[in-house]
Amino acid sequence: MTGMLQRIPRGMITMRAHFIALAVLGAAFFHATPGLAHHSNVAFEVTKVVTITGVVKDFQWRNPHTWVLLAVDDGKGGKVDWAVEGRAPGILLRAGWSKNSLKPGEMITVDMSPARDGSKTGLVARVTKADGTILANAPPPTQ
Amino acid sequence: MTTRKTILPLLMLGIPVLCAQAPPDFSGVYYPLNPFGANALGRGAGAGKQPPATGKQKGPPPRPTQSAPLADGSQGRSPDAPSLTPAYMAKWEMIRKSRMAGSSEYDNTAKCLPPGMPAMMNMAYGMEVMQTKDKITFFSELNDALRRVYLDGRKPTQKILDDPTYAGYSTGHWEGDTLLVDTVALHENSFIEGFSPHSDAMTIKERIRFLSPGLLEDRITVTDPKALTKPWETVKTYRKATAGTDELREFACPEGLGDAK
Repeated sequence: MTGMLQRIPRGMITMRAHFIALAVLGAAFFHATPGLAHHSNVAFEVTKVVTITGVVKDFQWRNPHTWVLLAVDDGKGGKVDWAVEGRAPGILLRAGWSKNSLKPGEMITVDMSPARDGSKTGLVARVTKADGTILANAPPPTQ
Repeated sequence: MTTRKTILPLLMLGIPVLCAQAPPDFSGVYYPLNPFGANALGRGAGAGKQPPATGKQKGPPPRPTQSAPLADGSQGRSPDAPSLTPAYMAKWEMIRKSRMAGSSEYDNTAKCLPPGMPAMMNMAYGMEVMQTKDKITFFSELNDALRRVYLDGRKPTQKILDDPTYAGYSTGHWEGDTLLVDTVALHENSFIEGFSPHSDAMTIKERIRFLSPGLLEDRITVTDPKALTKPWETVKTYRKATAGTDELREFACPEGLGDAK
């Protein structure tokens, strides 16, 4: 799965080739800024991982799920807003996050499972900060 | 001779003391060994390697997130899922379609409702056990849910049986180092696992014990003459937390309640 990912320059949306068609189709129907609807996992293509890079607008540290709002270059000189859903604060605390892990204005890369409906949201798999620090979405396994 | 005369009474005194050995103390914070295992949330759940740990490192993007097991019904039912009667299978199919259409109507988590028994014993977000001689309390970080197991010999009254709840009413007793628990008075608005529905006739038996120091096992048997063609059995295993991870966080789910769609 991960080997099939292709990266393109920072600031652009990257995703698996065959997923682009779906995203483009979805974009035609979802022009509005993504809202913070709580989604069950069924709303996401959990077998896929796509990558976006953008600037943090807001980081909402709350249950049942955390949210990262970010502005991503649309490749045409404009910005497009994404709202990505993360796991609960309790889980993320044990995975090494804190309430202050992400600050507005910082550039981050988000690996995520995309929404089935093509809207500009996803379920966070991990976040990578500009200095290379990785924020995982789960604590180390209990074995 | 003198020594034997001294030791024998001491040994005889020791026998009842050994027989009346105190039960084990389950108190502490625990995390499940495989919170998103196939048995817990459906086929394919937890597949693949864990994502990389937090920290400065380089590496390929992770496997699809572990927070999103394939428990959506898109691949049908897992072979080890509860065996539902036709009426409850039809209900499951109706719920599956609703969920696949993006509705939260049957998503109790989205509504901040307690996970309920027996699903709450997945304890995917962590569990805290508080034990006294007369009561054991199980706390689930997910949705700040509680269940209490009374050990003082009390039994559910008719008033309790007439007032079913998510966690139900649990009574237990020790059999050696194993805690045997019976749970009744469970209402229908919860799931056995995933989104397998059950009736108000569901009852649960558990056998909880330490497999080894710090490794707690809960063997769960679910009986439901209306919803299940045969009792459903599952085993949960939890590891006691170590320093640094032995505090659960407040959940306060309603803070994000407006997010539900």
